[in-house]
Amino acid sequence: GHHLTQIRGGIFPAKTLSPKIPNPTFLSLNPISLLPLQNPKLIHSPLQGKTKKSMADTTPRKLKQSLKPNPMPKNSHLSLSPGTPLQPLTPCPVRRSTRLNSASISVDLTTPQKPIEYIEKSVIYNTPKATKIEVAPTKTPTRKREKESQLYTADVTFSPVLTPDQSEFKKRKGEGERRIATRANAKNGKKRVYYKKVVYDGGEFEVGDDVYVKRREDSSSDNEDPEVEECRVCFKVGESVMIECDDCLNGFHLKCLKPPLKAVPEGDWICGFCEARKLGKVVELPQPPEGKKLVRTLREKLLSSDLWAVHIESLWKEVDGTYWFRGQWYLIPEETAAGRQPHNLKRELYLTNDFADIEMESILRHCFVTSPKDFSKANNGGDDVFLCEYKYDIMWHSFKRLADIDNAEEENEDSDSDDEDWNTPKNADSGTDEDMEYEEENATNSKSRPPSANELAANSRKGRFFGLHKIGTKKIPEHVRCHKQTELEKAKATLLLATLPKSQPCRNREMDEITAFIKGAICDDQCLGRCLYIHGVPGTGKTMSVLAVMRSLRSEVDSGRTKPYCFVEVNGLKLASPENIYRVIYEALTGHRVNWKKALHLLNERFSDGKKIGKDDDKPCILLIDELDLLVTRNQSVLYNILDWPTKPYSKLIVIGIANTMDLPEKLLPRISSRLGIQRLCFGPYNHQQLQEIISCRLKGIDAFEKQAIEFASRKVAAISGDARRALEICRRAAEIADYRLKKLTITPNSASAVKGLVGMAEVEAAIQEMFQAPHIQVMKSCSKLSKIFLTAMVHELYKTGMGETTFEKLAVTVSCFCASNGETFPGWDTLLKVGCKLGECRIILCESGARHRLQKLQLNFPSDDVAFALKDSKEIPWLAKYL
Amino acid sequence: MPSVCGRNSSPFDRSDNVDDVNRSDGDSTSQKRRLGGDPVAMEVRQISTQIKWKSPRRCVNSSPKTSAIGTEKDSMEGIVNLQKSQKTILTNDLTAKPNWNPIDTEQVSAVKEALHVSTAPSTVVCREDEQRRVLEFCKVCIEEEKAGSLYVCGCPGTGKSLSMEKVKQQVVDWAKEAGFHPPYVLSLNCTSLTNTSEIFSKIIGENQPKKKLNGSTSPLQQLQKLCSQQQQSSCSKMMLIIADELDYLITKDRAVIHDLFLLTTLPFSRFVLIGVANAIDLADRFLPRLQSLNCKPMVVTFRAYSKDQILRILQERLTVLPYIVFQPLALELCARKVAAASGDMRKALSVCRSALEMLEAEFRESTGNMNSISQEKGSLDKQTATGPEILEVQGNNVVRVDHMAVALSKTFKSPIVETIQSLPKHQQIILCSAVKFFRGGKKDTTVGELNKSYIDICKSVLIPPVGTLEFLGMCRVLNDQGLFKLGQSREEKFKRVTLKVDESDITFALQGIRFFRACLQ
Repeated sequence: GHHLTQIRGGIFPAKTLSPKIPNPTFLSLNPISLLPLQNPKLIHSPLQGKTKKSMADTTPRKLKQSLKPNPMPKNSHLSLSPGTPLQPLTPCPVRRSTRLNSASISVDLTTPQKPIEYIEKSVIYNTPKATKIEVAPTKTPTRKREKESQLYTADVTFSPVLTPDQSEFKKRKGEGERRIATRANAKNGKKRVYYKKVVYDGGEFEVGDDVYVKRREDSSSDNEDPEVEECRVCFKVGESVMIECDDCLNGFHLKCLKPPLKAVPEGDWICGFCEARKLGKVVELPQPPEGKKLVRTLREKLLSSDLWAVHIESLWKEVDGTYWFRGQWYLIPEETAAGRQPHNLKRELYLTNDFADIEMESILRHCFVTSPKDFSKANNGGDDVFLCEYKYDIMWHSFKRLADIDNAEEENEDSDSDDEDWNTPKNADSGTDEDMEYEEENATNSKSRPPSANELAANSRKGRFFGLHKIGTKKIPEHVRCHKQTELEKAKATLLLATLPKSQPCRNREMDEITAFIKGAICDDQCLGRCLYIHGVPGTGKTMSVLAVMRSLRSEVDSGRTKPYCFVEVNGLKLASPENIYRVIYEALTGHRVNWKKALHLLNERFSDGKKIGKDDDKPCILLIDELDLLVTRNQSVLYNILDWPTKPYSKLIVIGIANTMDLPEKLLPRISSRLGIQRLCFGPYNHQQLQEIISCRLKGIDAFEKQAIEFASRKVAAISGDARRALEICRRAAEIADYRLKKLTITPNSASAVKGLVGMAEVEAAIQEMFQAPHIQVMKSCSKLSKIFLTAMVHELYKTGMGETTFEKLAVTVSCFCASNGETFPGWDTLLKVGCKLGECRIILCESGARHRLQKLQLNFPSDDVAFALKDSKEIPWLAKYL
Repeated sequence: MPSVCGRNSSPFDRSDNVDDVNRSDGDSTSQKRRLGGDPVAMEVRQISTQIKWKSPRRCVNSSPKTSAIGTEKDSMEGIVNLQKSQKTILTNDLTAKPNWNPIDTEQVSAVKEALHVSTAPSTVVCREDEQRRVLEFCKVCIEEEKAGSLYVCGCPGTGKSLSMEKVKQQVVDWAKEAGFHPPYVLSLNCTSLTNTSEIFSKIIGENQPKKKLNGSTSPLQQLQKLCSQQQQSSCSKMMLIIADELDYLITKDRAVIHDLFLLTTLPFSRFVLIGVANAIDLADRFLPRLQSLNCKPMVVTFRAYSKDQILRILQERLTVLPYIVFQPLALELCARKVAAASGDMRKALSVCRSALEMLEAEFRESTGNMNSISQEKGSLDKQTATGPEILEVQGNNVVRVDHMAVALSKTFKSPIVETIQSLPKHQQIILCSAVKFFRGGKKDTTVGELNKSYIDICKSVLIPPVGTLEFLGMCRVLNDQGLFKLGQSREEKFKRVTLKVDESDITFALQGIRFFRACLQ
C-alpha cells in the first residue's frame, strides 16, 4: 500500500486491502496489537508491525517522523492498569496555541475479564509539512468509497450497497473484542451481540466514545477531510507552527500573521480579522488561490451542522452481521431552540436526550467531547476537541448542567457488567418516552419515531432504514437559517416593542441623572443608601432608561472600573401581594426561597442590623421597584420598611422606585415621604420631534418608511399622549398593512413591477384609524338594520326633546313613525325590545337595569355625533340620514 | 411643656457646647473627631467668612489645554496625594484649615457621609431637653423598680428614633454606673412585625430567652401571668421596651396596643415601655381606657425643628470635617427654607447633599474643558500658605448660596406650570375645557360632561376630537399627574372630576399659546 499512501493520508489502503486480503491481515494484526504492553520497549514493535501492514496510512508519516529524534511514541502510552474503567482515558488534547508535535493519543483499556488485554491505538501524524496534529484514527466509509472509485475504477464490489455477508467479512473487529453481553432477541430468535469495544475499519470504538457521524450521503462537502488544516492566509499547509484564533477557530501560520509572531502567545489570542470584525469593520478573509478549494475540517463541518457528533451508548452486532451502535446526539448551540447565545463557546456542544441506532458505517472518526474542566486543561490538543457542559432536552428545550448526571452514569457503568442494566439508557431526564421505547426497540426497530425532516441521513444501504432515521430528526430551527428578510419585515421586527433598540435617544439627560445618582451612591468605598423616585406617564421610557443605565454599569463592572454590586429588579405588578416583595428580594439576593415573613426578618437583619452573613452581602445592592404604587398597602408598612433600610448605616441599599403618578410621595404617609427623600426624576411625555427621532433611530439602515409618514405618526401620538409605545405600534401596524398590500399585489403579476415597498401616509393613516378610532363606530356600522333604525330614533328623540334620557315607550312610537313614513314594516314591540336589550349588552346604549318593560329608561352611551357619523352613509337604509 | 431646647445661640458661640460634647460622649465617633480639632474649626470658620467673596480670577486666565480625562484623573490623584501631605504640614504649623477641594473624591465622600441620614452624630444637638426627660423617666422607673409607659411623638425627621437610640445607650451606662441591674433592652420597629401580636412573643423571648414558649397559652397570656404574680428575685431585671412606629400596632379593635400598655399597669410588671409615633394624640384617641384607669402614659413631644436648630445641627455635623464646604449663608438659607416648610431634618440633609452635588457637577464641567486650570489649582492648593491665591480658590470651591437656592427650588417648588406646558395638546385642551367648565362656580362634574365640553372646544377650532375611550385614558393620565382628581364610579362616564390645581395656574401656563388664550378669554 505504499504507493497509495503517497497520494494521500492513506485511509484507503486498509480499505483497498480489505476486499482482497480481507480477513487475514486484520485478524492477524489485532492480536499483535493486543499484546500486553507493560514494557515500554514493546510498544514499538506492535506499532510498527501494524503500521507497516494494516495501518499503512500512518506509515509514511511515521517514518518521516522517526527521522527526527522524537520521543513521542514512548510518551504517548498511558500506563496500563488492569481494571481500568470503561471510560476511555480520553486523550488530553490541548485546545489551542501549539498544534505542535506534542499530542499523542493512546487508548488503553483492560477489563476484568481479560486483564492483559490491551488495545493500542495511537496515530500520530507528524507531517513534515505541518506541525499541526490531527487525530484521525477512523476512516470514513464515504471517503473510502469515493477514493476507491477514483483509484480503482474497476473495483465495484465496494459499492455502497453491500450484502450483509460482504460487509461482515469486511468489517472486522479484533480478536480482542470482548463479548460483554448477549441479549436474546425474542422476536428474531437470534442473538444480538453486544460489545464494549469494537474495532471497526481500523478505528476502535467503545462505549462512551464520541464520534463524528456523517449526515448525508450526497453532501458534497463530505469528500474532503483534511488531516491538516490549512493556513487561512497562505492556504498552504507548510511546516511552521500554526496558531488558532479563539474566536473564529481558523488556523494561521505564525509567519503569515501581520505582524508575524515569534512564539505562541499565552492566554487567548484573537486573529486580526476577528478583531477588526469586532470593531465593526467589514472584513474580507483572503480568498484561496484560483483552482484551490477551501477544504474544511470535520470540526468546521460539525460546527456548520454538516456533520453530527454522537456519544456511543452501546455497540452490538446485528443478526445479519452488521455492526450498530446506539448513540446519544450532540447538538451545536445553533440547533437548540435558544440558538447560539453570547456565552456559548465556539467549541461548545450540548448533549441531548435523543438517541438513535446508527450503523457503524456512518462513523467518520473519533472526536473528543470533554467537560469544561478537562477542556480548559486541554490547551494543546487537536482540532477535534469540544466541550459539553449542559444537557439539552429536545422535548422541553431545557438545559441541565451535566456534571452530576455524568458521575452517576460512570458509576453505574463501572459497577455492573450485567447486560440489562448495561443497556438501559441512563439519561437522567425523564419526561420523554425514551425508556419505554428502548424496551420495545428490539422488536420495533423500524418504527421507533416518525422520521422527520432530513430523509437524507447517512445509511450505508439505501432503502433500508433502520434506526438511522433519527439522524434526520435534527431539524435546524427556522431562526438559524431563515430566508432573507425584506426591508418591511426588518422594519416590523425592529418596531416590535420587545426589540431592544441599539440606542435610546431623547433620554440622555435623564439617563445621565440616573447614572450620576447610582454612581454617587456606589462608586466610592462607602455606600450611602439613597432613594430615587422616577415618575412619568406610561410609554416614556422610564424602565428602559434605568435598565440601560444598569447595562452600561454592568459593563463597567466587567471592565473593572466600578465595584461589583447586586441588582434586584422587582415589578410591583408581578407580585401576588405587596408583602411578597420581601420574598422576591431575598431570593434574588441569596437564592433561597423562604416565605415573606421569614424573608422580612432576614432582610431586616441584613439591612437594619448590619449583619452580613455571606461574603456577597457586603456588596452594595441596587433595588429597582417598578410600579412602586402597587406596594402601597393599607398601613403602607411594606413601603416604610423598604424605604427605611437605606437610612440605616450599614445597609448599602439603593432604592429606585418607578411609578406613573407624580404625586405619590405626597399621597403617602409623611413619615414615608420623609424617608423617600427629595430625589425625583420626571419623565415628561415625548413631543413629536422626540418621537420622530425614536422611530427613525430604530429604523436606521432600513429603508421602509417615508419621512412624512413617520412625522405624521409621531405628531398624531404626541398630540394625544406622547406615548412612545403607541407611536411604535402605529408604525409597525402601518408596515404590516403595507406588507400585506405588497403581497397582494405580487400575487397579481402584472402590477408587481410598479410596487414600491415604502410605508406611506396612507398606511399610517389606516393604522391610526384602527388604533384611535373607537370600536363602537365599527359596531354601529355593522349592526343590524333594525338596530340602526333604533339608534337613529334615539338620536332623533334626543334632538327633539333635548334630554339625554328617554323611555322605551316613546322610542317605540318614534320607530313606528319612521317605519310608516319610509315604507318599512314595523317589527313589533317584542322584537324591538330585544333589539334594545342587545344594544344595551353591547353598551351602545345604557338601559335601566332590571326593568325590561315599556317604561324602561334608555340613554345613548356615546355622543350622538358618533351615532350620526356611523349611520349617516349606511347603504341599505339611506333614509336614515335625514333624521340625523 | 417646653419641649424645644431653648438655646437659640448663634453658630459662632458654640464652643462651650462642643466641650460638652467631648465630655459627655466619646463613644462612637472618636475617629471622626480626630479629623479636626474644635479650636481649629472655629478659627477656620472665621477666616473663611472673611475671605470668601474674592473673585476667581485664576480660572479665567488660564489656558484651556485639555487632555484625556483618564490622564487628568491620574495626575489629579497624584496632586491630591501631594496636597494631602502638604496639608498635614500646614495644619501643623499654621493651624489654618485648608479649604476643601471638590475634585478630591475622598473629601467629597467624607462630606457626603457626614451629611447622610444614616450617620448618627455623636450627640443629638437641640434635643437635649427631650432626651433628658426620657432619661429621667427611665431612671426613676429603674430606681424604683416600677413599671411605666411613655409616649414620644413628633413629626417625621425630628430625631425621635435617633434620640431613643442614645437614651437606650445612656440608660444602660447609667444603670451600670449606679449599681442597678442593667435592664434588658428590646428596641423594635413595629413595621417589621409580620403580625401585630408578634410583639408579645418578642417581648417574652427577650425576657426569658432560655424558656421555651409554652404551646398552650398565648405569649400575651404568659406575659400577663408574669406581670400579675410575684416573681422570684432572680428575674427581677427591668425591661426597657422601645417600640418605634407604635401606630402600626393599632388594629381595628385596638386590642394589641391596649394590652401592651396595660402590661405596664399590672402590679408586678417590670416593663418600661416607650412608644414612638407621629400622631400627637395617639394616646388620647386610642387608649381611652388607660385614661380611665388613670395610668395614661406620659407624653414627650418632639417639635419640628426651628431654623436655628437646623442650622446648628448642620454645623454640628460639618464640624467633623477639617475643611469648609458650605458658605454659612447657604446653610442658613437651607435651614430657613426647610424650617418654614416642614422642619424635617432629613429633608435639610438631602437638600444640602443635592447642593453639594450641584457644585460637584459644576466642577466636573469646568474641569472637562479646563483641565490645566484644575491642575494649576491643585498646585496652588499646595501653596495655600502663600498669600491671596488661596482666597479666590476658596471662594470658588465652597457651596454657595446660589447652589443651595437651586437645590431648594428643586425640592420645594411645585412643577405644575412646567408640567402643564409639557402636556400633549389634547390634554391641554381638556384642562382648558375643565377651566371653562368650572368658571360657572361649579365644583365638580362627570367625565361625560367634560367630554362634551371638550368636544365643543375641539369643534370650535376645527380639531378632530379623540374618541371617548381615548379621552378617558387622558383623564386618567391627568389624574396621575395630580392635575385632576377622578372619583370612584362603576360607570366610567359618571366618574366625578375635580380640578386639583388652581385655575389661575392653568391660565398662566397656557397663556403663551394664542389658541388657548382665545379659548380662556
